Amino acid sequence: MTDISRANTPLTVEDLWVEYQIERGVVKAVRGVSFELARGESLALIGESGCGKTTLGVALIRLLVQAARITRGEITYWRGNQGLDVLSLKEKELRRFRWRECAMVFQSALNAFNPVLRIWDQILDTAKAHGNMPRQQVRERAMQLLEYVQLDPERVIDAYPHQLSGGMRQRVLLAMSLLLDPQVLILDEPTTALDILTQRTIIDLLRRLKEQIGFAMLFISHDLATAAELADRVATMYAGSIVEIGPVDDIFYRPAHPYTLGLIRAVPTVTGDFEALVSIPGAPPDLVDPPPGCKFHPRCPYVTERCRAEEPKLEAHYSETHHVACFNVRRVQEDTLDLQERYAKYIRRKVQ
Amino acid sequence: MSEYLIEARHLVRMFGSRRQRVTAVDDVSFGIREGEVVCLVGESGCGKTTTGKMITGLIKPTSGQVLYAGKPVWTARGDKGEDFKTYRLGVQIIHQDPYASLNPSHTIYQILSTPLLHHKFVANTYEALNRVVELLNIVGLSPVEDFLYKYPHQLSGGQRQRVSVARALTVNPRVIVADEAVSMVDVSIRVGLLNMMADLKHELGVTYLFITHDLAVAKFFAWEGHIAVMYVGSIVEFASTPQLINDPRHPYSKALLAAVPEADPELTRSKQRVELRSQDIPSLLALPSGCRFHPRCPYFEPGLCDVQRPALVPLDEHRYVACHIAAREAGVAS
Repeated sequence: MTDISRANTPLTVEDLWVEYQIERGVVKAVRGVSFELARGESLALIGESGCGKTTLGVALIRLLVQAARITRGEITYWRGNQGLDVLSLKEKELRRFRWRECAMVFQSALNAFNPVLRIWDQILDTAKAHGNMPRQQVRERAMQLLEYVQLDPERVIDAYPHQLSGGMRQRVLLAMSLLLDPQVLILDEPTTALDILTQRTIIDLLRRLKEQIGFAMLFISHDLATAAELADRVATMYAGSIVEIGPVDDIFYRPAHPYTLGLIRAVPTVTGDFEALVSIPGAPPDLVDPPPGCKFHPRCPYVTERCRAEEPKLEAHYSETHHVACFNVRRVQEDTLDLQERYAKYIRRKVQ
Repeated sequence: MSEYLIEARHLVRMFGSRRQRVTAVDDVSFGIREGEVVCLVGESGCGKTTTGKMITGLIKPTSGQVLYAGKPVWTARGDKGEDFKTYRLGVQIIHQDPYASLNPSHTIYQILSTPLLHHKFVANTYEALNRVVELLNIVGLSPVEDFLYKYPHQLSGGQRQRVSVARALTVNPRVIVADEAVSMVDVSIRVGLLNMMADLKHELGVTYLFITHDLAVAKFFAWEGHIAVMYVGSIVEFASTPQLINDPRHPYSKALLAAVPEADPELTRSKQRVELRSQDIPSLLALPSGCRFHPRCPYFEPGLCDVQRPALVPLDEHRYVACHIAAREAGVAS
């Protein structure tokens, strides 16, 4: 995929590998991940804990812990045709790059704040660390952003983090992440640990912000429902690799990887009648000593001899936009007829 | 004799000092028949867990009564009743966090054999080992040898939660209170855990009070039972699960169901939203007058909802709602 218009692709990742050095050996947390993110697009990374989602997210802003190393790959942020090779940046340049090009909102909104500083001081600190915007201008920008995320700026800006509810804190974090107008926003589990109604507010807010501001959004979630709501494209991760990536409707109604299908079959919907659910047997592999061949084969109902010996590559399927790493796509497909039928029904209803 | 195996009658629980008191649970009543499931759903801080702990006897109600097998658990003076030990053994709780609820310095065998030996369900360690093996098989931790002498930190979250279930089963309980028992477990593992717990219902006749904030989980686990929706300390709707999911009557239940994102893109995009008038959950220190939901309720009627607190009234055989508007629509006095 070399011939894409860089102007509309603020982030490209090419064959990224991340390893952790631990006592037992080397954990291969991210294994050969490639993808690109288009302007105004939201990409959801789904998968269970320990599949490398968060490591990948953190690697994109080079905020990995000491024990981790990026061993191979390229991460490039584009402004126009000007590429910024993140892996070659020095510490000082990195600080400028983070937040300005790419901001990350971390999982726990409570822990992301300094508990003894008012919101305003934390915003000011951020602004100071990234340039010398005059104080008054920062204040105005902050007030504007807080209003953007549907908070009462007057009340929030001089509050301490503990005085705000979980949903409010999450919104303040979002506002702060937008302070320097980044092109790419990475959100790690943006709605986990929030109550249903608060979650709804955040989801609606994110969707609106994305439409209005047009940044690219990468969000990491173990929750399929959030992905179904917010994503334009979905990438399923398993054992450090992307095993399937494609438009959201393709992923949910024509999944081609057995793991994606397994996840979909394991999640109940609220509306509608009772459905039997099927769990995925077994547990995710040990990434120090992963199984040979396809990493999913010990848990896969479609496993063949070939899967045990050879790891499938991510290849186009149906269309140029839907890629999957599986040898048995056709057999998986036969088991998704009910999902395809459901989709067809939605479309028929829409046409009428 | 009560028709319920476990019953809550007008449970109230306050916390705090004399100067500043909050009512975490405010007049909650419901009952669960033997072998049935009742699911408590609601947002954080609505009193679900406090209710669950009162049902288990871990927290004493400020007022009101818990009845187990028709007998009151607390005496009139608030002391432990005469059958307290039978009750405590009969009602077991599974906590939310499988990382915090198991003793990290005990092996799985120790964790499971201690209650067996202490309560003399087995005569000696040989019998204890046999029973532990049996329990591990029931909760699907096999081959058993792989688990017996492991420590909790060597197990995954889902496996630990299975150990928690096995521990609850050591004393042959008739009721299990599961407090967000699957919410910290990964999606792919969650269904297996839920199915295992549902099997206990069929095989051992366990009665469940299942506490969760996740409506999809509630629907799946309690399809043949009932769901009670709690809001700021009270039950606002109690109905059979299919009724509640497909035709909620209380505005709060409607709002919750409309707000849940679905793991189905077309479905979730086409969902009818319920617009609330305010996003703020009221503070327990400054509760609104009348109906507690009125400052947020889209159907709010001034002069009624902010003045008079609606009682939980039956709309039909299987459904109770605490809402003036819903009651009026159904032709029932609130």
